Amino acid sequence: MIVDGEHTFSGPRETVWGLLQDPEVLAKAMPGARQLTLTEDGAYKGVIRIGVGPVTAAEWSLNVKLSDVVHPQSYVMNVESKGALGFTRGSATVNLDEVDEGTRMRYHADLAVGGKVAGVGQRLLDQVAKMLTRQGLDALNKELEARLAASEPA
Amino acid sequence: MNRGHVGQSPPRNEDHRLLTGNALFVDDVHLEGMLHVAFVRSDYAHAILHGVDTSAALERPGVVAVITAEMLGDYWQPGPLLVPPPPVEGLIFNQASQVPLAKDRLRHVGEAIAMVLAESRYIAEDAAADVIVDAEPLEVAVDLEAALLPDAPVLHPQLGTNLAAHVVQKHGDYDKAIEGAELVINRRFHYDRGAAAAMENRAVVARWDVRAEELTVWDTTQAPIPIRNGLARMLGLLESQVRVVAPFVGGGFGPKIMMFYPEEVLVPWAAIRLGRPVKWVEDRQENFFATTQERSQIHHAEMALSRDGRILGIRDFFWHDTGAYDPYGLTVPINSQCTLLGPYDVPAYHSEFRAVFTNRTTVTPVRGAGRQHGVFVMERLLDIAARELGLSPQEIRRRNYLRSDVFPHTFQILFQDFAPLYYDSGNYAPALEAALDIVGRHTFRAEQEAARAEGRFIGMGIVSYVEGTGIGPYEGARVTIEPSGRVRVATGLGTQGQGHYTAFAQIVAEVLDVNVGDVNVVTGDTREFGWGTGTFASRGAVVAGSACHESATIVRRKVLEVGARVLGSTVDEVELHHGTVRVTADPSRAIGFGQLAGHANPLRGAVIPGTEPGLEATAYFGPDHGSTASGVHAMVVEVDPETAIVRIDRYIVVHDCGKLINPVIVAGQVQGGVAHGIGNAFYEQLIYDEGGQLLNASFADYLLPTALDVPRVEMAHRETAAPLNPLGLKGVGEAGCIPTGAAFAQAIEDALPHLALEIREIPLSPSRLFELLQAAGPAAARPVIADESAIAAD
Repeated sequence: MIVDGEHTFSGPRETVWGLLQDPEVLAKAMPGARQLTLTEDGAYKGVIRIGVGPVTAAEWSLNVKLSDVVHPQSYVMNVESKGALGFTRGSATVNLDEVDEGTRMRYHADLAVGGKVAGVGQRLLDQVAKMLTRQGLDALNKELEARLAASEPA
Repeated sequence: MNRGHVGQSPPRNEDHRLLTGNALFVDDVHLEGMLHVAFVRSDYAHAILHGVDTSAALERPGVVAVITAEMLGDYWQPGPLLVPPPPVEGLIFNQASQVPLAKDRLRHVGEAIAMVLAESRYIAEDAAADVIVDAEPLEVAVDLEAALLPDAPVLHPQLGTNLAAHVVQKHGDYDKAIEGAELVINRRFHYDRGAAAAMENRAVVARWDVRAEELTVWDTTQAPIPIRNGLARMLGLLESQVRVVAPFVGGGFGPKIMMFYPEEVLVPWAAIRLGRPVKWVEDRQENFFATTQERSQIHHAEMALSRDGRILGIRDFFWHDTGAYDPYGLTVPINSQCTLLGPYDVPAYHSEFRAVFTNRTTVTPVRGAGRQHGVFVMERLLDIAARELGLSPQEIRRRNYLRSDVFPHTFQILFQDFAPLYYDSGNYAPALEAALDIVGRHTFRAEQEAARAEGRFIGMGIVSYVEGTGIGPYEGARVTIEPSGRVRVATGLGTQGQGHYTAFAQIVAEVLDVNVGDVNVVTGDTREFGWGTGTFASRGAVVAGSACHESATIVRRKVLEVGARVLGSTVDEVELHHGTVRVTADPSRAIGFGQLAGHANPLRGAVIPGTEPGLEATAYFGPDHGSTASGVHAMVVEVDPETAIVRIDRYIVVHDCGKLINPVIVAGQVQGGVAHGIGNAFYEQLIYDEGGQLLNASFADYLLPTALDVPRVEMAHRETAAPLNPLGLKGVGEAGCIPTGAAFAQAIEDALPHLALEIREIPLSPSRLFELLQAAGPAAARPVIADESAIAAD
C-alpha cells in the first residue's frame, strides 16, 4: 500500500521538526495510540488500537526506527506493526522544505499489509489510511499552534 | 405406477431429512465434554518461523491445551502423496506435501501454526490471538512465470527449485503438422484462481472411546474410507478401530477429497491425547486461506490448420500453479493437458507443462479439475482461427469433430487414471445442431441485427467439450433385503448433495422391482462399508452405481432361488413383482420379500450347504477406463459497451452423460455446474498481491453469482450409452462448469463485432472487461463469413 501526500504547516521548519520527533506529540497525533516511547537506541515503541472496516479495533504493537536522518530536512521511518489481525511493514520517507507559508512536509510510505486485515479489510485500507493521516495532521496542527502560542512573548 | 426406476425422477429419498432440518451435518454433532478448536495461522506468505510463544494463551481461563509442531513428536509428518504422478517418460515430479503444523517455515498465508483447544470456540479464538508468532518474513514467489527464474525465492529449500513437475506428452508429430499448415494461430492465455466456495465449510469432530478403543471421526470429507485408512496408519490403530463418518455434507466440489488437511489429522490426535471429544468447524475466512483452491495456469498455445479449417496439430506450453504444496500430484494439469483435445480430431499434439510452487494456498482439484483450462485454450484457438479463415465458430467445430464411427478412440497420452486417454463413445456433431435449434438457428442473427438497430449488443457463444468421468479403480456396494421387506444399500462413497440416496436406490429398485422409497441407502460411513475410494471425478453414479447394480443383481438371483424353493417351484417358473416373488403362471402363489428374508435366515433347521444366510450381496465394480461424457454449451448475452456489464439472457446445455438414472438430478447437477461456471468466468477471482496476501477473503469482496445472475438453463439430454458399464452410465458432476469461460468469451466478442476484442483470459469481471474494451481498437475488416447463414446450414 502506498500512502503519500504533502501538508504545509504554518510554522518554522525547526519547530515542525521538533514536533515530529517528540514521542508525546506523536502519541497524540497517532489515532488510537495507547502509548509511545522513545527507546535508548532511538526507536519508537508503542501500542496502537485501530480497526479497519469489518476488522474490529485491535491492538497492534508498533516499532518505528528512524534512519537517514538529515536534520531538519528529512528522515526515513522504518515501520513494523504486528497484532492478532495481521501486520504492517515498510518504510516512509518524510521531507521538510521551507516555503513561504511555513514548512511543507512531503511523505511517501510504501507499506506491506498482511494477515486478516489484508484479506478482509483491503477495500477500506486506503480510506482508513487517508482518514488516519488527516486526523494525525489535524492533531499536529493543533499542537504546533499551541507551541507557537506558548513561545510568543505574552 | 411410477416406481422411481432408472430413467424416472421420483422425489428424492433424502429430501425429507434435508427439508425438515433433520439431516446430520458435522456441526450438528454435540458430545459431552467436547473441546473446541481455533487455529493460529500465518499472516505471512513466506517466512522463517523462529518460535511460537503460547504462554499467554495457556493462562487464559478455559484453555486446555495449545499444540505446536514440536509437541506432535513423531506424529509430525508431511501428508501423504495422494495421487502419484503417471508413468510418463521423462517426467519430473518434486514432492512437497503439507505438514500438520508449520515447524520452521511458513509457506502461505493461513498455514496452520498452532492449535488451541478450549472449553468453547470463543475462548479458543481469544486464546489464538494471545499466541505470539516470531516469524521473519522472506521474499515471496507468487508470479507463476517468475517463480522459476534463477533468483526467485525457493519455497522448499530441500528441492532447490520451485519446479514441482515437468511433463511432456505427445501424440502424433507436431513438427510435421506445422510444416503442412496454411494457418498457424499462436496466443497466450491466462486462467486465474477461484475458490470452491461450498456452502458448508470444512469440519471435523473426533471422539476416542477409551473402553471400546475406538476412534470415531465425523468429517466433511468426500472420501471417508481413504481418510479412515490413513488415520489408522498414522495413529497406529487397526482400521477397524477407526470409524470415519461423512454425514450430509454441504457441497464438496473437490477440496474435501482425502486431503489429510492439518485440521483433519490434528483433531483426532488431540481427541485421543486429551481423552475428550474435539470439534473444529472452519469459518468462512479460514476457508479462503486454508482450504485448497484451483486454477491458475498460463498457456502459450499454437494451432496449425489447413485452409479449410481442419486442425493439423496443436502445441501447448503451460505453467500450472500448484500453490505451496503438491499433495494431489498432477491430476489438475494432466486433466488440462488431456481435456484440451476435446471432441476434436487432433492428429498431432505436443503438450508440455511445468507445475510451480508458489506462496499461495495449495491447489487441488476444484469442480472441473483443470478441464476448464484445456477447453478454454482449445475453444479460443478455434474461434480465432475461424475468424481468420472466414468460417463461423460453428462451422469450424463441425469440420473438426471426431466422427461417431471412430469410437473407441485412443490418444497416445496418459490421462489422470494412468491409462491412455480413451474415449469410449460419443456423438458430437448432433449435440451442436441440437443446441443451435434451441438457440434458434434461423432467427438468432436477425434478432441480433434488430437489437443492434436499437443500440443493444447481443451475442452468442457456442462451445464444445468432453469430460473424462467415472474413472476407477473401483467402488463397492452391499445390498440387503431386511425382514421388514425394505432394502438397504451401503456404499463407501461420501455424498455432498449429488442425490446418491435416490440414484443408487433407483438402480437397486429397478433390479429388485421395488419402490425407490423402499430402498434405504447409506453412504459415507466406514462402519457400514469399508472398501472404496471416494466421490470425485464425476464417478459416483458410474462406479458406485454400477456396483449397486451388480450387488442387486446377485440379490435378485438369491431372491428368485429362495422364493422358488419356498413356493415349491423352480427359478424359471417364478418372477419378481412389486416386492414379492410369485409363480408366473399362478400369481396368487406369492411371498413378500420381508417374509422371504426370514426364510433365508432360518431360526431352526439348516441353511442349505453351499448357500449363505440372508438376502444379501456385496459386489465391486472397477471400469477399465473412464467413460467420456460430452456436450455443447451455448449462451446468449447482452453486453453494455459502456459499463461492461454482461447480462446472460439465455444459457443452453445439450449434454450427453449416457443413460440418465434420474433426469431431474442430472438437470440439477448441470444447473449447479453452470452457476459455478458463471461464477468462475465472470465473478469469482482470488486476488493476491505481490506479497502473496489474498486481498478478497470474504464474500463482501469475493463475488459469487447470485440467483439473479444465473439464468435457468435450457437443457437437452442426449444418451450415448457408455459400453464400459452395465447401465451405460457417464458422469455429470462437473459438466456444467467446464466450458463456461469459453462460451462467455465467444459470446462477448460476438456481441461487439465492431471492436478488435480478443478475450484470452478468465475470469473476467465488469471492470476487467471494461479495460479490455477500452484497449480494443476498431475491428479490422474481417473476411466475410461465407457460412454465416449457416448457423442455419445443416
